[in-house]
Amino acid sequence: MLQRMTPEAASSRTQQLDGDRSRRARLAIFFLAIGLAAAFLFSLASGASDASMLAVASDLLGLGGENALSVRDSIIVVDVRLPRAVLGILIGAALAVSGAVMQGLFRNPLADPGLVGVSAGASLGAISVIVLGATSLAPIVGFLGIYTLPAAAFIGGLVSTLVLYGVATRRGQTSVATMLLAGIALGAMANAFSGLLVYLADDRQLRDLTFWGLGSLAGATWAKIAAAGPIIVIGLATAPFIARGLNGLALGEATAGHLGIPVQRVKSVAIVAVAATVGASVAVSGGIGFVGIVVPHLLRLLIGPDNRYLLPASALLGGCLLLLADSVARTIVAPAELPIGIVTAAVGAPFFLWILLRRRGVLDL
Amino acid sequence: MTTLSAIELRDVGVRIGHKQIVSGVNLVAPAGQLTAIVGPNGSGKSTLLKAIAGEWDHSGLISIAGRDMAALRPWELAGLRAVLPQAATLSFPFTVLEVVRLGLTGGRSGLTGAALDMLPFEALERVDLAGFSGRFYQELSGGEQQRVQLARVLCQIWTPVLDGQARYLLLDEPVSSLDIKHQLGIMSIAREFADAGGGVIAIMHDLNLTAMFADKIAMMHRGRLEFDGSPAAVLTDNKVSQVFECDLRVGVTPRAGSPFVLPQSTLLS
Repeated sequence: MLQRMTPEAASSRTQQLDGDRSRRARLAIFFLAIGLAAAFLFSLASGASDASMLAVASDLLGLGGENALSVRDSIIVVDVRLPRAVLGILIGAALAVSGAVMQGLFRNPLADPGLVGVSAGASLGAISVIVLGATSLAPIVGFLGIYTLPAAAFIGGLVSTLVLYGVATRRGQTSVATMLLAGIALGAMANAFSGLLVYLADDRQLRDLTFWGLGSLAGATWAKIAAAGPIIVIGLATAPFIARGLNGLALGEATAGHLGIPVQRVKSVAIVAVAATVGASVAVSGGIGFVGIVVPHLLRLLIGPDNRYLLPASALLGGCLLLLADSVARTIVAPAELPIGIVTAAVGAPFFLWILLRRRGVLDL
Repeated sequence: MTTLSAIELRDVGVRIGHKQIVSGVNLVAPAGQLTAIVGPNGSGKSTLLKAIAGEWDHSGLISIAGRDMAALRPWELAGLRAVLPQAATLSFPFTVLEVVRLGLTGGRSGLTGAALDMLPFEALERVDLAGFSGRFYQELSGGEQQRVQLARVLCQIWTPVLDGQARYLLLDEPVSSLDIKHQLGIMSIAREFADAGGGVIAIMHDLNLTAMFADKIAMMHRGRLEFDGSPAAVLTDNKVSQVFECDLRVGVTPRAGSPFVLPQSTLLS
């Protein structure tokens, strides 16, 4: 599937003699949208109970007909696989776009919410709610209801992003080494507090935590989508408004300002959007790593770093990859399943190493 | 509208931390002229230009066409002046065309329609980089990168006067990494921008190029504006020797009567 979406054939025709990659980018977005639709159907049709893609499609569209699903299959598709697939797309898009936005903000292709401690901060927020929700945080839980978990993860993510930006950026220049090291320190700190909370947790909470911490879409329900979905959608919806600003930031904050970009506002929006989308994702699916670094990097190779195209393309490819990873996670050891975080890490970590090796000279850590 | 537009500095000072880098600068850089800022390393030239560009907070008043620049919004400023930084870094693999197009972000180039679409290519041709649009910026040499940045800056305010408003190029050492052909080429671009009614403020190191192209020279020394005036008035033995703190003799070219300074002149004394 991935190979079909990165066609050298399609790009070589629009030879980039003049350096304009916008047509190629639009074409890629078009194919990615088709790919996402296909991955969506594929993920609905695959699993322990088999239902053909055609049958799933006609069932969802209310067409019925001779190859309609059995009642049992229909329930499986609508109540189990559909929320899971929708959540997969949302989370995949959220992780990939927040990765791309963070990279634009830090002017660095290695900035990823999972690597630099933002996810760890969000996890700390979420774990606090899981462990302390019935006791010290009970009034807040009573007030925010199902939004408590995403809200706490959002705050955790926001605080880590702000601290990270404050530490790593001086006069509009971000030092890679400082950013990564500060990220490690932040992550370690958040993990230490998380560990403390886990230590305090009772047996039932521990089971929740373990399952959630590995990263999984298995608990997907419409209720979770209702809690995290709006936050993610709002976060993603800011992307078009900051895309041009992020492009300008590639030249440095000062030059971006000279171009007429309201730099402070772009930065604030980007930081809040990243924290919100990462927070909401972490709250419902735990730590799913490497999507945020792999997807934007692949797309930059294909369509270039222009965020006006990179951000929507990241959303599509992110959703697509996570659906496929989830299909793998669900079927590879069927009827049991792997946490999806294991799948994305197994694929993403070597990829990350490859980026490091390719850029060794440029990065100069 | 007959008021002559200018960038005007009144008692401008810049403090960074506890150190006063620039103080008490009064300077008028009128539209239609190329104003060069010269001075030894560390004399505050770049800091002053950054204050004019809006990068540093400053005391005193910097106005453009009579309006306080500190009160203007980023997009308003972007239509009034463009800034060429001394060193520009780029963090992602953009093509040359994509970099130059960033100059169009503010939407005040002054062109529309097909001319606007072709503007990045025209700007590249202007800086002698025709055919480079598809190359990756990071693969170019330092001098080529500098010229790409200039093309981007030119795109931002392509027409020197828009809606009766003169616009300004702020150039921080525009020719520092260029060969002599392109030094002359880039200085000619700045000269023509001024001749067409725009204003130019350029930080220069090469006194000879400065003498050749500038209408006005502002000479900085230890954070203060020591002298300003025409090249002939500012480039004199005493002034140059005093500001640069070494014994120099200014010569005059036979035909054009333009002042020049050779480092060899120190040996004569």
